[in-house]
Amino acid sequence: MKTDSVTFQSQGRVGVITLNRPESRNAVNRQVTAELAEIRRHAGYGSELSVILLTGAGSGVFSIGTDDQENIGRTDPEGELAALKAAAIIGSFDQPVIAAVNGDAFGQGLELILACDVRIASRNARFAMDQILKNRIPWDGGTQRLSRLVGRAKALEMILSGMILDADQALDIGLINRAAPPGEVLPPAMKIAEEMAGKGPIALRYAKEAILRGMDMTLEQGFRLEADLYFLLHTTRDRTEGITAFREKRPPRFEGR
Amino acid sequence: MFETLIFEKTDHIAGITLNRPDALNAHNVQMRDDLFEVLSTVCADDDVRVVLFKGAGEKAFCAGADLSEFLTAPPPVAAREVRFDRDLWGLFIRIPQPVIAAVHGYVLGSGIEIALCCDICIASEDARFGLPEMGLGMIPAAGGTQTVPRAVGVGPALEMILTNRWISAKEALDRKLINRMVPRKMLYDIADLTAREIAAKDPASVRLAKSAVVRGMGLSLDRGLSMETTLALRLIAEHF
Repeated sequence: MKTDSVTFQSQGRVGVITLNRPESRNAVNRQVTAELAEIRRHAGYGSELSVILLTGAGSGVFSIGTDDQENIGRTDPEGELAALKAAAIIGSFDQPVIAAVNGDAFGQGLELILACDVRIASRNARFAMDQILKNRIPWDGGTQRLSRLVGRAKALEMILSGMILDADQALDIGLINRAAPPGEVLPPAMKIAEEMAGKGPIALRYAKEAILRGMDMTLEQGFRLEADLYFLLHTTRDRTEGITAFREKRPPRFEGR
Repeated sequence: MFETLIFEKTDHIAGITLNRPDALNAHNVQMRDDLFEVLSTVCADDDVRVVLFKGAGEKAFCAGADLSEFLTAPPPVAAREVRFDRDLWGLFIRIPQPVIAAVHGYVLGSGIEIALCCDICIASEDARFGLPEMGLGMIPAAGGTQTVPRAVGVGPALEMILTNRWISAKEALDRKLINRMVPRKMLYDIADLTAREIAAKDPASVRLAKSAVVRGMGLSLDRGLSMETTLALRLIAEHF
């Protein structure tokens, strides 16, 4: 697939998405969003990809946020926002998505990684939800996902002040799962992606669905969803293969069926 | 008496010990049926004020599901009906009394899920926690996809479940998967003491406090606050 502002490569069952506008500090614009949407269609139902990895080109910046060149709110504010909602696309993947945060993630850049499932960041990365400094509020999921991830008090502090956190602070409040040495974020992120890619692809998607959907339900409803998905997995060949391989003490060969 | 459990009731405390030590207390169909029966009894017994779970033997609280019985199960539609007909896990999270788990050694798969269906989890320093289901082409099915993210947060839960990475008791404590980490030889003394402390409180207050916290987590703050008032008023009425 030919793209410019975002590149996409498959490495086995892992699909690697790279924000590729280093000259603009990987700022999100309409083109980035349109290309992400195209990748999402390509990597969706029927694709061989079990896991998605999202990273940014260059070393100091993952993404600085929404491109200042984008004029939002002139003629059709709702439509203009919709055409820029990149995190909404990342959040719509059925597969697990791992963020390899190679540098600063500000504003919509932070919203992008919040839409991922596991976040590994470079030790020199910084994090801020800084929309308030431009008289805006986060509009690509930030007000919802940040508070669910780090709790209401920290989310309010970040969103209302635009404060900048370093990687250690981000680790302490649970904004990122792990930190890696500067410039070396890809290997550990890829290692996690490959660990996941060795699992049953359907079980991976169902586990993600049970966790994310279940958190929007009562505990009882969540238990019911989990059980329904579990019994649906009983109909897959991968489950039989997983149990058989365990008994035969050999690695399983999952096919996604 | 149960084939897979030891059940004893002393001083208002119901002790339930998973008792298949030769199989690392693996959860099998018989244990499911035994647990369903004992928990049904405990729920209806007003004399029980606290429930305390332990695992027999040195090596494990519970090492997960007994895979020797897998692939012999009925077809999915029948298995689903059985699951909801004898809804052990639904029953588990509706136990009105506080439930304490004292865990050691392997706490894997349904072991972690049993521990997280409990209200307070005390672990010994040697405890190791993990969810191995993904490597078998399965997902956790005793509530793990629901209880783990509610305990540790969505990000760490996704990482634990999707990669089946095991964690130590220390990391489990840091991540709030467990309440307390204690030396192995003190595990049961501390768990018993905690159970006795709770059993010494007014039983109606204890049950309503548990109910307010547990049910409130599934409600909006507004509805949670009004439920809390309703429960507090009910308690005042009971004590008059």
